[in-house]
Amino acid sequence: MRQIRYTEAINEALMEEMSRDETVYIIGECATAEPMGAHKGLVEKFGKDRVKDAALSEPAIIGSCVGAALGGYRPIANMRFSDFIIPALDEVIHKAAKWRFGHGGKQKIPLVIIAAIGGYIGAGPEHSQCLESIIMHTPGLKLAIPTTPYDAKGLLKTAIRDNNPVVYFFHKLFIGTKGEVPEEEYTIPFGVADIKRQGKDVTVVATGYMVQMALGVANQLQERGINIEVIDPRTLEPLDIDTIVASVKKTKRVVIVDEDTLQCGVTGEIGMQIVERAFDYLDAPIQRVGSANLPIPGGFFERYVLPQPQDIADATGKVLGLKERLSVMAPERQTFHASEKLHLEQK
Amino acid sequence: MKLKKEQKVKLYINLVRVRKLDEVMVKALFAGKIPSFFHSQQGQEAVGVGACTFLRKDDYVYYSHRGHGISKTLPKGVSPRVIIAEHYGKSTGSCGGMSGFHTADMELGIPGISGTLGGGFVLSAGMGIAAMMKGKGQVVVCIEGDGTYCRGTFHEAAIMTANWKLPIVWVIENNQYMTFTPICEYYPMENIADLAFGYGMPGIVVDGQDVIAVYEAVQTAVERARDGEGPSLIECKTYRFRSHAEGIPDIKGTELRPQEEIEIWKKRDPVNLFRERLLKEGALKQADADQIDREATEEMEEAERLATADPMAADPETFLKRALYSN
Repeated sequence: MRQIRYTEAINEALMEEMSRDETVYIIGECATAEPMGAHKGLVEKFGKDRVKDAALSEPAIIGSCVGAALGGYRPIANMRFSDFIIPALDEVIHKAAKWRFGHGGKQKIPLVIIAAIGGYIGAGPEHSQCLESIIMHTPGLKLAIPTTPYDAKGLLKTAIRDNNPVVYFFHKLFIGTKGEVPEEEYTIPFGVADIKRQGKDVTVVATGYMVQMALGVANQLQERGINIEVIDPRTLEPLDIDTIVASVKKTKRVVIVDEDTLQCGVTGEIGMQIVERAFDYLDAPIQRVGSANLPIPGGFFERYVLPQPQDIADATGKVLGLKERLSVMAPERQTFHASEKLHLEQK
Repeated sequence: MKLKKEQKVKLYINLVRVRKLDEVMVKALFAGKIPSFFHSQQGQEAVGVGACTFLRKDDYVYYSHRGHGISKTLPKGVSPRVIIAEHYGKSTGSCGGMSGFHTADMELGIPGISGTLGGGFVLSAGMGIAAMMKGKGQVVVCIEGDGTYCRGTFHEAAIMTANWKLPIVWVIENNQYMTFTPICEYYPMENIADLAFGYGMPGIVVDGQDVIAVYEAVQTAVERARDGEGPSLIECKTYRFRSHAEGIPDIKGTELRPQEEIEIWKKRDPVNLFRERLLKEGALKQADADQIDREATEEMEEAERLATADPMAADPETFLKRALYSN
């Protein structure tokens, strides 16, 4: 099968869905000149009416999407970094999420908010966050976090066709990654987890970039005879808890990994849902891995806050009741500067 | 633009209908029939009635909490029974009775109300995008209060709509109080409409007690918007006669809101002013005016009786679950 980059997969989904449905348009700061390559060719094909360059005005970008959705359109807001959603949280948490509900459930608000999440690029506290905990916490918002080019395309097409507000997060470190994506049309339903690696000893539930990190750790621990199953929920709302619980019932041990701040985070929610459904199957207390309860510092300091491969290995050792530490090698450290990566992307 | 006699009478009928409905709501709140609250708009009728009575059915209107939008939604065609039933939590209410007091009806171009005030500006901008892309000449009329126009969301929406020449009319319903604070305490200038200059849109100040003045200003802006010339900003100076919300202590009679000020404004009651004007012009006879009063009273009392008898939602839990997501 052909291999394409993650951002090319996003680009294909946008291209296909905007061709398929003329009510779909995209709006954002620098929407026509989006630097990651996700909007390549859009303005040439669809014009400035459907690829709108907004002012630096996050509430107006997302709020106008809610208004246009009420008016019969299917807007997509590309917010670039998820941190930039914060100035528009009234529009996201109140307007997008609650307008339909607050008016008796008669309206449709089909819109997509796209944003890059995550750290490991040294960008500091307001350019490195993962906001999945806030979004998952808010009733009325669906949340997709694809981790491969295949998932990126299939989930974005589903998001655009959904009649509800969908937040679509992708990790910055995925921008240049490649993966298999078929030529032919496909979509991926929401609420269906993907078992990214089969295993029998420990279940690791991971989201976003943590899926890739967990797979790296799993491959290293395989050499020591530890067989890890890695589950990627792909959408956190709706959450496919059944697939997770089925895996836990099989392995009896679970580690949950999410890059967002640990306190009140996704790991706590998924862990509690497992306890509610499969407590009697657990042979060890659930372990979770996430960011320390600190803002994310800039530069190399961030590694003391963000989850590291060794944290996943340590948690795995704990659920297995091992006395000795499972040391793993950190993968090649991701120290690229955003500008370098973007430069590569343009070549 | 010049109104015919029947059109003037229609404006008057709407002024009276809004006033009577407001009175019914106040009474209902004190009778314990409204579990949430009511923010009376008495004194401010001319703004919504003047702006909305002659809009197209497919034009969009955003209202604010003042009067829970009745001076806009009644002229736009919403039935008073649906409004009262929503306040009573009845299944026949605009939102099935679950919203507290929201009115929404997309068929009549009414998308609803933002709980955080000032949330409607950016949504209006989006409705303007939809209207422009559809290309059928629809216009968005966004009517919010003086306090709300201090939100940053207006700045962002004004830039977006002016830059893209979206078909929007921004109306400031300036009743000179932000809840319990007089405007001189929080706004540095005499007229909010002066902001328009900075956005490159027309700005105008009108007497918000004069329904014809409001109508003419809004109609001019609506035509400009339909012609693709972009947004305008209209400030209507008005005054609320009652408290911020019924049953809540107000600052009436204090240094912040002197009783004499209230009395002066009550002499400029928009319903009385317009009736006197129509009687003087001969557009209305006293007997006609009395009949309009009677009919509006009957209409609102009948709506209240029907809403009282209407059923509650049969299965609230299922209703709420279905309200979260659309299929």
